[in-house]
Amino acid sequence: MEALQTVDLTKHYRSGLFKRKNIIALEKVSLSIEQGEIFGLLGPNGAGKTTFVKLLLSIAHPTSGTATVLGHSLGQRALKEQCGYLPESHRYPGFLTALDTLIFFGRLNGLQEKILKDKAHVLLEMVGLKDWAKVKTKKFSKGMLQRLGLAQALVNDPKLLFLDEPTDGVDPIGRKEIRDLLLQLKGEGTTIFLNSHLLSEIEMMCDRVAILNKGKVVRTGTISELTTQKLVYIIQLSAPVSEDLRVRLSQSHFSLELKDTSLTVTLKDKSELNSIIDTLRADGIGIEGMTQQKTSLEDYFIQLVKGENDQ
Amino acid sequence: MFRFTIGETLRKGTLIFYFAVASSFLLFFALGIGHSPTDPDMVTIFGSPFGRQSQPGMNVIDFLLIQLHSSSVFWIILFGIFGIAGLIPRMLEKGTIDLFLSKPLTRAELLMARALGAVSGIAVNLVYFFLGIWLIFGVKLGVWHWGFLSSVAYVVYAFVCFFSVVTIVGLITRSAGISIMLAFAFSIISWGLELREKGLYRLWDNVVYHRLLDAIYYLTPQLNAMLENSSRAIGKNPIIPYPAEFTLMPFLYSFFSTSLLYGLSVWYFSRQDY
Repeated sequence: MEALQTVDLTKHYRSGLFKRKNIIALEKVSLSIEQGEIFGLLGPNGAGKTTFVKLLLSIAHPTSGTATVLGHSLGQRALKEQCGYLPESHRYPGFLTALDTLIFFGRLNGLQEKILKDKAHVLLEMVGLKDWAKVKTKKFSKGMLQRLGLAQALVNDPKLLFLDEPTDGVDPIGRKEIRDLLLQLKGEGTTIFLNSHLLSEIEMMCDRVAILNKGKVVRTGTISELTTQKLVYIIQLSAPVSEDLRVRLSQSHFSLELKDTSLTVTLKDKSELNSIIDTLRADGIGIEGMTQQKTSLEDYFIQLVKGENDQ
Repeated sequence: MFRFTIGETLRKGTLIFYFAVASSFLLFFALGIGHSPTDPDMVTIFGSPFGRQSQPGMNVIDFLLIQLHSSSVFWIILFGIFGIAGLIPRMLEKGTIDLFLSKPLTRAELLMARALGAVSGIAVNLVYFFLGIWLIFGVKLGVWHWGFLSSVAYVVYAFVCFFSVVTIVGLITRSAGISIMLAFAFSIISWGLELREKGLYRLWDNVVYHRLLDAIYYLTPQLNAMLENSSRAIGKNPIIPYPAEFTLMPFLYSFFSTSLLYGLSVWYFSRQDY
């Protein structure tokens, strides 16, 4: 079942003198996110990632298009009751303690203060702020505020969690703890929508991602689908290739790279793979293994966005 | 949000400062006011007779309370606005508004709870000051002046109306400074509009201009008229030869203009992207 579905979601802003300049923040974004998955939204600065989340939570209003979140249309109270949100640059009242902050935001979620007191302690322990419960948030570092923000987003036991740069300003150990916590939540059935610049983190956590550029979705898929180079194969050979064989293989249409017993071939068509294997085996060279080459999500992302921007 | 806003003003020290100022005035009156030992009809402040130059038969208590009311209320309201004008723009700051709007509250609920929380803090201070003065006059002079006590309700009402201007300006400009400046400007404009027939009308003898001034007068809270009438609720000012009668009309007109301004504020807030 889908936790979130958008159809042609569009947001145009007006800016400049007399608001005559039209800025396209999002253009016909259609996405679908299954319940229980961690979905990552990637994109360069200004791609529209935050705008997308803001539209879903009615912090901004769409110009056109529709969306349903957990079966509710945008703007419905029931939608917000079941969602948690950690904005990118969140500010908490400095005069409140961590505990009071969670109780306050829990109250805004319609929860009772009695229940919230116990819950706030549990959440603070979960995010590693147990000993800071009674300290005013104005004394918190950025990383601590980020942890508090995460606790705040979890205060209503959300079914869908929107996180905008959740590990921003957090140290490496803290990042690992947050990652583990998010994976634990996923295990408990929470759907997580993640906006992040940290592609390595997305790669480690997300089941599926979408890449947004200039307000448009340019690619969606699993990490594996995006990072696998479909026509590049690494073939492990049983013996080194002779010079004669190397010349014969090079004369074919595909490009190749030879390193001891490892042969990397870039094909124009998948059918060429059989021809290579036949040639190798005819020369008495066995195939010990074969894998499709993978690229990092970062390399893929940079290539894709650069390509899109050059067009 | 209502409780949080009160807490915010308390913890930022604004209300505590006003509370301290109000307490100092109350202490001043509690210690200083009394009857003259030689003339029980004579009111003294730290031994000095008050209203010595008044006409015979003048109600000195009414006069004293009206003077006290007139000289304090306008400033209490202006300083009140100064203290809480930033609450609306502060709610709209990036990173704060995102969190509030992501919660299951309508924008109308959010805005009205914020505005109500803001005015409640000042209202509590006003009630504290008026109640304190009323008790001091009752205990020390034996005068339980119900008119004076009831006037606080009109003053609080006027403050709620005045804050509607601050709310809409704060929403549009998102600036505490501009909100305060425009609130001060509005208080002067309100005074000018109240006396428009004797002043602003004479600047330009044009019917359209006159009707425009009338429209502004009726479409905005009549702050000056409400404060004057709250003072008239105490009694007739003995030093004015033909004092005007107390009327509820400015409060009624202001109810409509305030409702309009709060309504416009909600409408504007609901349409904005943050």
